[in-house]
Amino acid sequence: MTAPVKDAGVDRSRLSEHEFAGELKSFLGARHPGRPPRGTAENLAFLRAWQATLADEGWIAPAWPRRWGGMDLPVALQAVYHREMTLARTPVPPTNFVGIVGPTILTNGTDAQRERYLRPMLRADELWCQGFSEPEAGSDLAALRTRAVLDNEVYRITGRKIWTSKAAIADFMLLLARTGSLESRSRGITCMILDMNAPGVAVRPLRDITGGRYFAEVSFDDVEVPVGNRIGDHDDGWRSARVTLGHERSTSLTAAAVRYQRVVRDLIELARARNQLDDEVVRQELARLITGARLLELNGARVLAQVLHGQTPGPVSSVSRLQHGLFEQRLHEVALDLLGADAMLDARDPRLAQDGKWVRGFLRTRASTIGAGTAEMQRNTIAEKVLGLPADREER
Amino acid sequence: MTATQALSAGGTLAFTEEHEELRSVVRRFLADRSPETEVRRLMETIEGYDPVTWTMMAERLGLQGLLIPAEYGGASAGFVELQIVCDEMGRALLCAPFLASAVLATSTLLAFDNPRAHETYLPRLADGSLIATLAMTEAAGSWSGTDLTTCAVAVVDGDGDRFELTGDKVFVLDGMVAQLLLVVARTDSGLGVFAVDADAPGVAREPMSTLDATRKQARVSLQNVPGTLIGVDDTSSGPLSAALDRGAAALAAEQAGGARRTLEMAVEYAKVREQFGRPIGSYQAIKHKCADMLLEVESSTSAAYAAGWAIDEHSSEAGVLASLAKAYCSEAYYHCAAENIQIHGGIGFTWEYPAQLYFKRARSSEALLGSPRHHRELLAQRLGI
Repeated sequence: MTAPVKDAGVDRSRLSEHEFAGELKSFLGARHPGRPPRGTAENLAFLRAWQATLADEGWIAPAWPRRWGGMDLPVALQAVYHREMTLARTPVPPTNFVGIVGPTILTNGTDAQRERYLRPMLRADELWCQGFSEPEAGSDLAALRTRAVLDNEVYRITGRKIWTSKAAIADFMLLLARTGSLESRSRGITCMILDMNAPGVAVRPLRDITGGRYFAEVSFDDVEVPVGNRIGDHDDGWRSARVTLGHERSTSLTAAAVRYQRVVRDLIELARARNQLDDEVVRQELARLITGARLLELNGARVLAQVLHGQTPGPVSSVSRLQHGLFEQRLHEVALDLLGADAMLDARDPRLAQDGKWVRGFLRTRASTIGAGTAEMQRNTIAEKVLGLPADREER
Repeated sequence: MTATQALSAGGTLAFTEEHEELRSVVRRFLADRSPETEVRRLMETIEGYDPVTWTMMAERLGLQGLLIPAEYGGASAGFVELQIVCDEMGRALLCAPFLASAVLATSTLLAFDNPRAHETYLPRLADGSLIATLAMTEAAGSWSGTDLTTCAVAVVDGDGDRFELTGDKVFVLDGMVAQLLLVVARTDSGLGVFAVDADAPGVAREPMSTLDATRKQARVSLQNVPGTLIGVDDTSSGPLSAALDRGAAALAAEQAGGARRTLEMAVEYAKVREQFGRPIGSYQAIKHKCADMLLEVESSTSAAYAAGWAIDEHSSEAGVLASLAKAYCSEAYYHCAAENIQIHGGIGFTWEYPAQLYFKRARSSEALLGSPRHHRELLAQRLGI
């Protein structure tokens, strides 16, 4: 059962950066859960418990309003939050607060929807997935075909979603479905909350390049969604679901950059352990990666500085995600180069031991330039929205 | 706390209104005094600069004295201010001995605690009446200081700072117009920096033919030339390397400015040039190039100014960030300048079109003050790898 909505404890939004970091560190000193266990079920239970702890102690959703259980932090403290959490190597909770689901309900949901869904989402009592991509609608999301037909008080859903992360464990899906004609494109899409346990929902796990089952294909056979679960207006889902919250994406990317500094240090240790630090080519590659990680951080710092000075984040904010994806891939390519012949091994081979993480990362990061907008789509967006080059497609 | 942590926490990397004002003043000045026609005129001269513009830069804007303390007639400005100026100069391809005199020579003098040298030279550097340069590189073409052969021998009966210098310097920036040469030479106690009058007997100068005609370089040979000791640097992280780091950070800002201009040129052209009935900028092949250029331009700006910020904050990371910026901005500028030509197609290959000027400046600057490879190696060493 979910806990009732309550005022989430202490207000830390007015602390100085120093005080805030101090409180967070002492909280983590007392409550850091350590490393997550490996088994799938144990891992999930562990992470859910950790997220509930964060929520109950008021250390979650830094950009969300306090009324809905968040911390309502100013941007500077959000950055401190993400940085300290990353530096302390805290496990990553199963709910993605920076993603689309939470901000969409926060921004465009009704109060009744917020009351019902946000608190359990914060505590990971209920898990969510995002039903956007389809077999025929990847980068071209506005071509989605999953049909929602209004029938008195329900929408009847028929169709198929793919690349749905966490579908197998999710309780709810934030769904984009077609309510207009196919030709209406983004003007005929409606956003709604779908119960994953409703009759007619079938989840078929997809095995990805790593061998893992992180994604799934979800099919809907005449699934009923109450009209009250709609978010925003009929046919207006394209707009409803394109919400991000304040500048949290920028601040969380800064946290990722902090993490990469550490990963690059790990890579240097890999080169040291394999006696490759005297190799000039290796030194050059490592220096390039150090540079790449620092640039992610510096670009993030610039975005943050602009926001803190009340300026609109400039072009630098638009290139960050592309840069992150390209960097992650390069990092792991270099790691595999350092592994030499061991790069022929699967991550599970005992000879690799801890170094198996580089092989897993090497495979996993192929998605870094595909998921949530391919690198090519990001470049199109940068070229058109930032540089003002003419569009070659019908709609934006 | 590392520089970048401080940046993330304090957000110091945002430009202030004063910064933006400085930028726009310098941009307007350069638009007036250094249009492309003027750049092309000066390219063809031996001197490679316009004395009237140079004087105006000093008297109206005080640019040559930015780094110089107010007690010597300078502006006591921050390094970031200097970088903003270099950024704009790179954008306009200004032909002037600014990097040589106002950055390298000035930083070298300031790096050594030598009040007499400061009193002698800084006021005249600040008001633009003296042009100086650093003469370091020799036949090996390196800025590491380990392979120099020019020797300084103390003058017997001298007062301790008078030497005679012999050796051959190459790639001396603006060596034909500098009146003061700061010559790096071997001494018994390490590398010394010496003030040498460029017109002194025993000094022979000749212009080098440079790929980048907008920045002049010279061969300078010294045969028993009198020189005054500015200071000795017997370490790899002493005053001389601090001065070179400043040069690298300033040049990185200049490169970032040039790179941004090439992106603007490419985008402007891609919007108007039509092929197959539509602007070439509507094709993804062109869009993706421009998006990648933007990524590099923005990262160059971040890298260059982070180094400047670290210098202003006396951060222990100043050297690391200077090398990082020089290595990154060099390659980014070169790539952007090359893509600019590619996006322009045939016209980008012509002499008349300015894309070639940026391309040559970019490639030349990549080698100046140490190649990206040199700086990546420095970066690794400075981080203890």
